[in-house]
Amino acid sequence: MFREDPPALDLRGLTKRYDDGTLALEDFDLEIPAGAFFGLLGPNGAGKTTLISAVCNLVRVSGGEIRVFGEAHDTLEARSWIGLAEQDINLDRFLTVRETLLYHGGYFGMREPEERAEELIDVFGLRHKRDVRAPKLSGGQRRRLLLARALMHRPRLVILDEPTAGVDFELRQELWRYMRRLHAEGTTILLTTHYLEEAETLCEDIALIRDGHLIARDSAHGLREHFGVDRLTDVYVKAMAL
Amino acid sequence: MTGLVWLCKRETLRVSKLWTQTVLAPVVSSILFILVFGLSLGGRIKHVGNVDYDVFIVPGLITMGMVQAAYANNASSIFQARFDRYVNDVLSAPLRSWQMTLGYTIGGIFRAVCIGGSLLVLALLLVNVPVERPFALVAAVALGLVLFSALGVVVGIYAENWDHTTFIANIVILPLAFVGGVFYSVDVLSSPWQELSHVNPVFYLVNAVRFGFLGESDVSVWLSLGVTAALALPTYAWAQYLFTTGKRLKA
Repeated sequence: MFREDPPALDLRGLTKRYDDGTLALEDFDLEIPAGAFFGLLGPNGAGKTTLISAVCNLVRVSGGEIRVFGEAHDTLEARSWIGLAEQDINLDRFLTVRETLLYHGGYFGMREPEERAEELIDVFGLRHKRDVRAPKLSGGQRRRLLLARALMHRPRLVILDEPTAGVDFELRQELWRYMRRLHAEGTTILLTTHYLEEAETLCEDIALIRDGHLIARDSAHGLREHFGVDRLTDVYVKAMAL
Repeated sequence: MTGLVWLCKRETLRVSKLWTQTVLAPVVSSILFILVFGLSLGGRIKHVGNVDYDVFIVPGLITMGMVQAAYANNASSIFQARFDRYVNDVLSAPLRSWQMTLGYTIGGIFRAVCIGGSLLVLALLLVNVPVERPFALVAAVALGLVLFSALGVVVGIYAENWDHTTFIANIVILPLAFVGGVFYSVDVLSSPWQELSHVNPVFYLVNAVRFGFLGESDVSVWLSLGVTAALALPTYAWAQYLFTTGKRLKA
């Protein structure tokens, strides 16, 4: 079904060197098929967030090419296909829950975002906080709103940068359910996480990155076989020691 | 264009949500100037040229209130968005760079127009200020607001902390406004202060606005509009350059 579509994400020779000289990504190639649930694993500073930021036009790339469903990532069309939930909570402090969704939808070209906003308010259990401004929400509510915002404009590619970092068990389970439902609806998901069991449970395909380079890529089962170990944790330890 | 409309709505929503801070406070402050300087000093300084002193100071005070608000609004709005990183929601959206520049500039213009409109109504009631040249007034206000709104955007993008944004407001714009002929005609100044006034860009803006209200000013209205335009256009272009390249906005 998905093989006829161009890849959801196609990175060719992606390089990012920051102004201070740090080389975050070097000649990085990666292809994520449309409809995949893809995991990106790596230690802090491996280049995961830089990669995501490059795809979402939030950093200036030093070299290489990024295509989203066949379109250059900086075109308006490609931008409208991506939904991003960043690692840190970055909600507009002046907007209520409802306004956060409406304005995001508006920025992304939705002409009548009201119905979609109300739908997501219900899906993410934020009805009783609908008219509350973001700074007055609890941590879990903010995390849910961040995810709702990323989904507001019905993106084809959803990028989740450590969405379950620092959340309790119940909320993590809840977020997993949302992610699975999204994937079942055909949305491509790129997930970065530090939790190996999360990647193993959710992702069909996993890439391990370190120091801005791709170390390995396969399904969780394939990675275990390749590294000759029984657990993904051992794969991770071995891969990072290479 | 939908994205631009929503960005403009967001920037004006911020002004209206915080209206006591963004509009009421500057209006009260300017009205106090009119009352204290105009009505009290007006007893001692009867006229400046052919104009009553309390009327003479109104155009300058309206100008000062508007340009300070236009600058401060945009500098704080965009700095806050960078600081909390919710600017990423706009930077990643399918918006063209000119739409981002215009969207962020509109907030300051909207706030300044709210303040200027309120002050105009109050000034009409208090001192019956005339509007002799409405087209010149509109042109002067438009150019002045583009200049200071765009300056706010630029400073908001470069600022690394709140002090940087307030530094420009308190150490640059406010002193330039005070010595730009808001409260006096530069004709009464001795050399070299009179000559030095002519290198103050706010002096030209105040005079262009004063011409719009009173039909007279210290320098030609065309020179005033020309100088203001010559500053407004490159400042706006600078803001546009920052959004186009992502410099200071994207790592």
